[in-house]
Amino acid sequence: MAKAVRRVLVSIFLLGAAWAAQASSPVLTLTQAHVQTQIEGVVTEGDVQLPYHWDGLHRGKRGFASFVLGFDLAEVSAEPYGLYISRLGNAYEVRLNGVLMERNGDMSAFNGADFAKAPRFIAFPANSVQTHNVLEIRIRADIGRRAGLTGLMLGPMTEMESLYFNDYHWRVTGSLVVAVVSLLVALVSLALWATQVDSSQSGWARRDPLYFYAGVAELFWTLRVADALVEVPPLPWVTWGTLAVLSAAIWAMGMALFCAQVAGWSGLRPVQWLRHWLVFLLALGIPVAVAALGYGYPAVLTAWYTMGSLTFIAFVAVFIWKALRSGILAHKVMAIVLMLNALLGMRDLVAYRLVSSYGTNTLQRYSSILFGLTLGYIVLMRFKEVSDSAKELMASLAARVAEKERELHSSFQRLETMAREQERTLERTRILRDMHDGVGSHISAAIRQLQSGQTSNDMVLLTLRDSLDQLKLSIDAMNLTPGDITALLANVRYRLGPRFAAMNLELQWAVDVLPTLISLDAAAMRQLQFIVFEALSNVMQHARATVLRMEAAVEPSVDRPGHSDVCVRIADNGCGFDVQSASKRGLATMGERARAIGAQLRVSSQPGATVVELRFPVDAHTEPMAKR
Amino acid sequence: MWRVLIVEDDPQMREFFAASVARAPELVLVASVGTVAQARAVLDDPGGIVDVLLTDLGLPDGSGLEVIRHARCKHPECEPLVISMFGDEENVLASIEAGALGYIHKDATPDDVAHAILEMKAGASPISPMIARRVLARLKGPVSQESTIGAVAIPGTPHGKGEVIQLSPREQEVLELIARGFSYQEIARLVQISVHTVQTHIKSLYRKLAVNSKSEAVYEATKMGLLQLHG
Repeated sequence: MAKAVRRVLVSIFLLGAAWAAQASSPVLTLTQAHVQTQIEGVVTEGDVQLPYHWDGLHRGKRGFASFVLGFDLAEVSAEPYGLYISRLGNAYEVRLNGVLMERNGDMSAFNGADFAKAPRFIAFPANSVQTHNVLEIRIRADIGRRAGLTGLMLGPMTEMESLYFNDYHWRVTGSLVVAVVSLLVALVSLALWATQVDSSQSGWARRDPLYFYAGVAELFWTLRVADALVEVPPLPWVTWGTLAVLSAAIWAMGMALFCAQVAGWSGLRPVQWLRHWLVFLLALGIPVAVAALGYGYPAVLTAWYTMGSLTFIAFVAVFIWKALRSGILAHKVMAIVLMLNALLGMRDLVAYRLVSSYGTNTLQRYSSILFGLTLGYIVLMRFKEVSDSAKELMASLAARVAEKERELHSSFQRLETMAREQERTLERTRILRDMHDGVGSHISAAIRQLQSGQTSNDMVLLTLRDSLDQLKLSIDAMNLTPGDITALLANVRYRLGPRFAAMNLELQWAVDVLPTLISLDAAAMRQLQFIVFEALSNVMQHARATVLRMEAAVEPSVDRPGHSDVCVRIADNGCGFDVQSASKRGLATMGERARAIGAQLRVSSQPGATVVELRFPVDAHTEPMAKR
Repeated sequence: MWRVLIVEDDPQMREFFAASVARAPELVLVASVGTVAQARAVLDDPGGIVDVLLTDLGLPDGSGLEVIRHARCKHPECEPLVISMFGDEENVLASIEAGALGYIHKDATPDDVAHAILEMKAGASPISPMIARRVLARLKGPVSQESTIGAVAIPGTPHGKGEVIQLSPREQEVLELIARGFSYQEIARLVQISVHTVQTHIKSLYRKLAVNSKSEAVYEATKMGLLQLHG
């Protein structure tokens, strides 16, 4: 509240002060001058009405002008005076009553620094303004560089200063804002162009040209607008001026192509023609600008500008017509902005190049900011659209991956089920074979024995015991580690040991730690179990032995020098038998089983020494038994 | 005089075991029953003492393992013995983990039965090479620490420390020889210890397996106060 009151009070005070100042010393507007020009050594003189537009009066020439303005004051105010000049240059000197007030630029260096871009304000020291005064202004004028002098305003310093600042803000600060906005849009667009890559495409199609057109257009527009802030060009004037001209052209061209892209016309034939035409115009711009700025033929540049403008206007007309029919908001906004720019562009063209007025400002730089903002908006919308659809794509991709994973999983499960099924089938086959060879044959033997009525109880009992032992061994076989012969022998001993003990058969056990033979799979282990069981069973039933010796060790191979064998030996001191006798069917079966599992079976027998020997080659695939 | 409870659902087998027990003067038959429920009832009798439990695994109203656990809970001094048809790995290991200290085959002679019971009470438990091998496979391998113990971690155990089967080097050596098929007598000779010491190692292994079996067994044991017993 207090703040508001204070603001009102301050305003009233300022108004009062301004009124008082106006009352004390009125503002003088000076537009009458005596001018002396010097062009290529030729000096001419005369009275002129300001503003003085050099390019309009001395087309294609460079030189100097000296303006003399006299003014009288009825009463000299105690308040300091200030001078505000909207435009003068390219280089200048200002003298009041013979005293140098301000100088900017080198008066003799043509095409040097250009100080005609910003308005000027000169504060006169106290007492320098008298009743009768002479103001002398000298300028250096380059070709095609908007040299000259506008009307002057002289008055109280504060008032002049505020006029100056107003002008300054429009021309310099305004340009700075436009340049910054344009640069921002340019950088965002170019960054998107550089980073947003459509990996499904190759080459140039990978990147969105929309971003490129926007980025390039705004980048060059930045250059063009920033030129208003550059008094000392980094390049020689003609090159720099040409660059500025081309920048504007590139901006317009980028805009047109951007709009065509937004409208989705990029593939159309007329747009391809337009593109060629614009490139041609751009190329033409170089000699045109050089001719106008370097050699003094501004009409060429004007014609060129006109050509560009007409092209643009035609394009804008088509675009607006299409945009109104399309119903897309972005297109309509774009159309309005385009139209505004086209209109102001035409106005600037007329004001600057056709009418040759001096002291006016271009307006397009301000309308261009709308362009820049619209363009930035569209670029960002495009980016959002693309990233949204990318997100969607990712989501659907993830869903598809999940789906595939499920399919894989279920097919894997099917496979697993099949494998298990097969395993079960194999297991069933194995158990059936076991039953047939082992328990089945023993039980049927027991039945035959009972049926014959000639067999003793003990014999039947023995057969049945064999049957049960076989059954236990086949159950144990399910848990035997394939290739672990030590475990197999230990288990056979565990199962049959009580029977040896019951028979008073002394068992000598000499089983070493053996390497695991990976060539022996589960089925082979079962075969080996049968062989060992058969051998031991023979000893128990027929040998009448008192000592049974079980040996297992790794020994040097007999028929493979340098290699070794796992050797299992079952020896007894019984009565022995004839090895060659054909009646030993069990022996033949043992031999077949041994061959089936890649083992060598050797049987030697004589009274008091029967040896059944099994040899397994130890090959490179053998895993040494882990030392426990 | 050891008091024996028999749990077997086959009446013929039950009679056979009852007769086998009756033949041995050192044994007294407490009862011979055919179901888990009946066995529980006998074990729950506050006046009764059971020194030996002889149980089948497959019972009409449950598993013999339940009877074993119940017996260990009610009568910590009771030593269970499992009646097994084949003495196969799975069943024997499960029984040991439940707390059994031995097993008898169904085809044993009457003398074998009494002998097995008395041997167990004297401190000898049977162990097959297959089971020895299985226990060894559970060990991570030889651990040569200062106290040199082989240890098997049992995952998911509720107690932070000591939930592993820890074997002394001697126990491990004995176990390896059993896995290779040597008898207790042969092992005693090879390692130069007494047969009794071999038996002690085996019995100790039984207790370790019972305590450190599976997480749920440990949980149950804790519930039943068994950990204090062995702790």
